[in-house]
Amino acid sequence: MVSLMSELHRLERRLLVALKDGTCLQIEELSEKTDLPEASVGRALMWLAEKKLIIVREEKRTTIRLGSEGLKFLKEGMPERRLVNTIIEAGGEISLNEVTELSDINSELVNIAIGWARRKEWLQIIKNETTMLKVKEEPKRDLEEELIQLLSTSTHFADELDPDFMNSLQLLMNRPNVIVKEEKLKRLVKLTAEGLALANMVQETEDVSQLTPEHIRSGTWRNIRLRTYNINAPVANYWPGKKQPYKRFLDNLKLNLVALGFEEMEGPIVELMFFNCDALFMPQDHPAREIHDIYYPEEPIYGRLPERELLFLENVKSAHEDGFNTGSKGWGYTFSTNESMRLILRSQGTALSARTMISRDLNVPGKYFSISRCYRPDLVDRTHLTEFDQVEGIVVGKELTFKDLLGVLEMFAVEVAGADRVRFRPDYFPFTEPSVELAAFKEEFGWIEFGGAGMFRPEVTQPLGVEVPVIAWGLGVNRLYMMEAGIDDIRKLYTNDLNWLRKQRLR
Amino acid sequence: MPTVNVLFNDLQRLVGQKLPSNQIELNEILSYVKGELEVFDGDELAIEIKDGNRPDLWNVEGIARALRGILGIEKGLKEYHIVGDSGIETYVDKDLRRIRPYICCSVVKGVKLDNEVIRELVHLQDKLDQTYGRRRKRSSIGLYNLDLIKPPIEYRSVKPTEISFTPLESEEEMNLKEILEKHPKGIEYGHTVEKFERWPILIDSKSEVLSFPPIINSNDLGRITEDIEDIFVEVTGTSYETVLNTLTLVTLSLADRGEQIYSTKVFYPYAFPSRDKGEDVTPHLKIKKIRLKDQYVKQILGLELDRKTILELLSKARFAVINSNKDSLEVIIPCYRIDIMHPVDVVEDLGIIYGYNKIEPRWPQMITFGKISDKEIFSDLVREIMIGLGCQEVLSFTLDSGENQKEKMNLKELKLVKISNPKTLRFTNVRGWLLPSLMAFLSNNTHIEYPQKVFEVGDCVLFDTKTSSGVRDVRKVSFITIHSSSNFSEAKSMLDALLHNIGFDYNLKTIQHPTFITGRVGRVVVFGEDVGLIGEISPSVLDKWNLENPAVAFELDLNALKEMISSKEKK
Repeated sequence: MVSLMSELHRLERRLLVALKDGTCLQIEELSEKTDLPEASVGRALMWLAEKKLIIVREEKRTTIRLGSEGLKFLKEGMPERRLVNTIIEAGGEISLNEVTELSDINSELVNIAIGWARRKEWLQIIKNETTMLKVKEEPKRDLEEELIQLLSTSTHFADELDPDFMNSLQLLMNRPNVIVKEEKLKRLVKLTAEGLALANMVQETEDVSQLTPEHIRSGTWRNIRLRTYNINAPVANYWPGKKQPYKRFLDNLKLNLVALGFEEMEGPIVELMFFNCDALFMPQDHPAREIHDIYYPEEPIYGRLPERELLFLENVKSAHEDGFNTGSKGWGYTFSTNESMRLILRSQGTALSARTMISRDLNVPGKYFSISRCYRPDLVDRTHLTEFDQVEGIVVGKELTFKDLLGVLEMFAVEVAGADRVRFRPDYFPFTEPSVELAAFKEEFGWIEFGGAGMFRPEVTQPLGVEVPVIAWGLGVNRLYMMEAGIDDIRKLYTNDLNWLRKQRLR
Repeated sequence: MPTVNVLFNDLQRLVGQKLPSNQIELNEILSYVKGELEVFDGDELAIEIKDGNRPDLWNVEGIARALRGILGIEKGLKEYHIVGDSGIETYVDKDLRRIRPYICCSVVKGVKLDNEVIRELVHLQDKLDQTYGRRRKRSSIGLYNLDLIKPPIEYRSVKPTEISFTPLESEEEMNLKEILEKHPKGIEYGHTVEKFERWPILIDSKSEVLSFPPIINSNDLGRITEDIEDIFVEVTGTSYETVLNTLTLVTLSLADRGEQIYSTKVFYPYAFPSRDKGEDVTPHLKIKKIRLKDQYVKQILGLELDRKTILELLSKARFAVINSNKDSLEVIIPCYRIDIMHPVDVVEDLGIIYGYNKIEPRWPQMITFGKISDKEIFSDLVREIMIGLGCQEVLSFTLDSGENQKEKMNLKELKLVKISNPKTLRFTNVRGWLLPSLMAFLSNNTHIEYPQKVFEVGDCVLFDTKTSSGVRDVRKVSFITIHSSSNFSEAKSMLDALLHNIGFDYNLKTIQHPTFITGRVGRVVVFGEDVGLIGEISPSVLDKWNLENPAVAFELDLNALKEMISSKEKK
């Protein structure tokens, strides 16, 4: 019993209390008594009936209401009343012919009205040479008129009418269209014995869904019973604030690089050709510098180097023209310092490495990395973007060799990307020699090209004032994330799809 | 990178050894010449050569020449000899100095051409013109039927309408101007000459046109067919070294099939950086020498290689050695290795032939201090607070359209970095603020459950005359929320929470801003300095983005805030 009690809904409890005095009530009455909408009462009654706490008895009953003629009577008065009023207005006595003239009653109905008025003893008929109608005094409102008035408010059950009206009802029903009679189902609700027992218990404890500060403060929580919930019921969505998943991946990558002793580099989006290409020993007519590979701003077109760095510009010019003092023969063309000051949108992260090498703050030994947005004129589709992120890094140190380069690459593949083993292939970049391509094997993906690396050429390092070997590497970070997240459309990385972001699981 | 199409049998025959027909094993061998199979379809191979600086590997003869050394079939220097003087002379007109100053020529006799050889020749010619020749600007190649030419040849300039001839791939005679207007090659390469008043032409002593360099050959003298035995090769261009190297590469690709090379003479009326005016005999086919220290090899590769091993690797790389002493060698570089500029280029070859995968990787033992940049640390702090406030982080493109950045935000004035060569209308500018990116985001998600609360921390570029480039990157944070009852106080609560938690007091200054509702927008002021905006988005802006719910937003300049922290710390 007690367990049943705790399962009861707030609505059910209120109905039990309302039914406790043992009377049979209808839904309408219950609604009034409990101050609940009829729909809620109906719903709660269904639950109670299922639990066998109430019995619902159905009765067929007759209802009565005014018909079209009845409504007319209500508005204009009954014909016999209107007849009598006409006579009184005319002085109390009037000929039959005059009645038809003066009254607004349809002539066909006049005789019927006279009949009813006589039967009610409201008028006398005096038959001389002309038939005269006489009314002594205005008759009081009779029961039929009272009944019409009563029915004007709502539908009534015939069996609930005052017995005094029974005769009048019969009379009115004899007149066409005055009263409409209908059969209606009446549902009467009564508690079962078990229901009654429960109802008595409800009185002791109050049914509560939401515990309130008031309950706690006042101590009423002792007398209330907290309803148990269906804890498996579905609830509203909640969308937490969270990191963009690809950005989160980059954050983690950064932490890994920092753990390996790498320091973050910085550089501008609108970059000098000097850092993006020239300092990297890419000849000024290199195909990768043409408009189909690099974005050129309309404005500003040229930038400047700070005073201190102009010396490096001269060195770089010399490296291109005749190899500077590196022992290289250079590219053998006339270098344009003007072209070097051309501004572009950074097309490779290596520009940041060039900036770092030229910087006063360069540490030897040092390890540096950058995650930078780079730009190339490309149409956007499943596999191409016109801007993307590059992860690049350099290691600067006196004793560094190609062996160390391979060691750095292996460390990334294994520690950062979780690869099982690595493979190296010869590759080519204008700014590194030797150059190498890193492929890594992951059980679930097979062999994947991971990135490129190399040792900066002496024509790159020496003109920038770096006298020790520099290892440079770049990782295909977009691809690495796509693989990890199982994404095959590169556009998803910078997605506009909120639903996807909300539902993406973090790993 | 260039792709070389070869027949498997042809490659096998030229290498002189059976090659694996298994794709993985073949790829392994090709990796020694930086090659990777793109297509491996029975007999047809397409090999991508991943080295833009090794045109000697851009044809099957070159690949075979290198592989023969690597596989130990034919080691040491591959020498090419000039049989003699062809007697053909070319005279350069002085006008060419400003237009297209250099020409180098050779003659190759006893050629046995079939369709396959012609096809490969055309491919090589095209790759050299496109890549090494910078789309024919720096150099372009012409091949001719020697028998039809009546020397001496004149390399001179003419007015565009002065001369007419029938170009290749055409049946009608056209003047040079018509070729530039109508002929496919004229349309493609016209940019190399059209800025000049006079254009280059190559004609023989009977005034028969050989070609209109670098556009198109004559259909008579300049058409290569199977029955031709003797070929005249000419390369013109704007870089003498490139022109000479290109001639070497084309001439050798013919000589590798057993033909004989003859030299020619060119007479210049002007001097240029590498030579005096007068006679130039080409091709040169000269070897180069480079000094290589044993120690340098060890220092780069990190391998303890002894002299014997170094010599063996050099000979497999097809170099020769003379004048060796205790700690260095004089390495002889064959004429076709135009990529070798510095001893390090030779060292890479040695590393490749030794085998990258035989080298034991070593993690450099050096102690360095890892560090995230201050800018990123500050950005991460802001992101942490915004996420704590229940916002979804988004990441969008930094390129945007001017329409999104301005018109759709009701702005008339906003100076943006505009790209001069955009690829699509969607990405024409670098963004100057983040809010339009967030508006685009909301606009894409109108069918997704509200409320939506998003933010981005990202870079914008703004004009700034104080910087050396005239522009600077600005790291910003922008927040927006959209739902049926969003209002100013909601955004202000968020702003309060953010600024308080990152250590700033602020006040708001009422302003007019067309993106926002008048009277519901303000500047965010910290230490008397404007650092951002906050406001309710104007319904006319919402309308432009097809948004049907009110939205409120703020945007802050994180560079400015960060600088305040730094200057406070200094004090």
